[in-house]
Amino acid sequence: MHAALVTEALKVYRSRTARAITVIVVLGIALICASMLLAVGTADAQMAAKLGPLIDPGGWVGYFAAAAQVTSAAGLLGCGALLSWMFGREFGEGTITGLFALPVKRHTIAAAKLIIYALWALAVSVSLVLALVAFGLVSGLGAVTVEAVPAMGRQVALTLLTATIAIPAAWAATLGRSVLAGIGTAIGILVVSQVAVVAGTGGWFTFAAPALWAVSQGTRVSPTQLALIIPLVLGSCSLILVAWSRLQLDK
Amino acid sequence: MADVALAGRGLVRLYGDGAGVRGMDIAVVAGQIHALVGLNGAGKSTLMRILLGMLKPTAGTVTIEGRRLDGADWAAVGHLVESPLAYGELTVRQNLALGARLHGVPAPRVAPMVDAAMTELRMDTYAGRRARTLSLGNRQRLGLASALQHHPRIIVLDEPSNGLDPAGVILLREALLTRAGDGAGVLVSSHHLDEVARIADRISVVNQGRIIGDLDPGGIDIERSFFDLVLADDTEVPCTRR
Repeated sequence: MHAALVTEALKVYRSRTARAITVIVVLGIALICASMLLAVGTADAQMAAKLGPLIDPGGWVGYFAAAAQVTSAAGLLGCGALLSWMFGREFGEGTITGLFALPVKRHTIAAAKLIIYALWALAVSVSLVLALVAFGLVSGLGAVTVEAVPAMGRQVALTLLTATIAIPAAWAATLGRSVLAGIGTAIGILVVSQVAVVAGTGGWFTFAAPALWAVSQGTRVSPTQLALIIPLVLGSCSLILVAWSRLQLDK
Repeated sequence: MADVALAGRGLVRLYGDGAGVRGMDIAVVAGQIHALVGLNGAGKSTLMRILLGMLKPTAGTVTIEGRRLDGADWAAVGHLVESPLAYGELTVRQNLALGARLHGVPAPRVAPMVDAAMTELRMDTYAGRRARTLSLGNRQRLGLASALQHHPRIIVLDEPSNGLDPAGVILLREALLTRAGDGAGVLVSSHHLDEVARIADRISVVNQGRIIGDLDPGGIDIERSFFDLVLADDTEVPCTRR
């Protein structure tokens, strides 16, 4: 496992693709949220009317409520893109043949990818909340209030939960043997989640539960509904490990 | 009886278009270079994929040093099939170190092994270059270095001279002859009959998913012998592919 972990960590650390995704997720989301703050504060009444409800009740709490909305969509796409690249690139670049006939088993390599992804998600979740605070300060929100602390905690949790519900993208990238298959799946999860929320499934639709939980400040999703993410993650990871273990390079 | 490093018996694996492998027996002997030659689509690459566990045969068995694939000592195997194990964002040195670690080489031995591999395949000047910036030929050299650096006892290379310049071909030849001399069993596929005639101890001709005969590496007109065998087989067994 150690060799596989070192390998996967080095690939992610050195990759321009992974760096670009990281920057887009962290700075991109923070920039969008700060832009919303600035837009609401302008003299444009129409803009303020449109964006106002998104940052209700205003201040740091409203700012993090908006961040939750943006993170649930952009974060899912970013996480899906990284997973798709990590798993799908081996097929697209042909390196998958080199991952056969090794003393390190393929399911170990897949597990190492997932572990490195989890560490990346942890780093991104912390970096994102720090970036949000920095952009909030620059945008004139003033000192962070005590009321904002739980919202910051929810923001970290939301990023991590969003990272977990993106894991099926890695399975899709493996089965589809391409980066695009994974990204398409991440987009599909996002669209279906939006539709499910509009249809009124609420927190019972597991892919939508993290966003609903964070946006509603924990009021619209029960702990049971949120806990359903655990079997989703375990199932997705199991499917990925089995797929890599049984992988065959047929036409 | 010579030690068999790598063996396949009764191997069958067909694709939907009729291509693939239809009943192949092969034994790669330790200390010998065994070449597979054949036209495109003859089944060489499919055979190699089966031997390396990339494809499960629908019939037949594969053994590596007498053990089935699920119990094989994969640290003793080096291979290059189609694309080199080279990640564009990593340097040549990093790629080789990664390859060594994945082949089970203990950490303290990795650095000297990588240095030796780069020297052997004249990659020293590219040590700090990212793989994405290498030419096709140098990427192939990198892949070969990764496959050979840990001095495996079983070597499987599919079209290893692809993209190599004449100097690279000579380096490859010397590397394979050295390893075979040290006791490794080497299986290579190639389209270059002259090249395999220079290094191979045995040349098997693959056609329509079967091994249809051997060529004499020391023969005078090996190309003519090859086409005679293929033509006779095509005449005897009409093409089964569409």
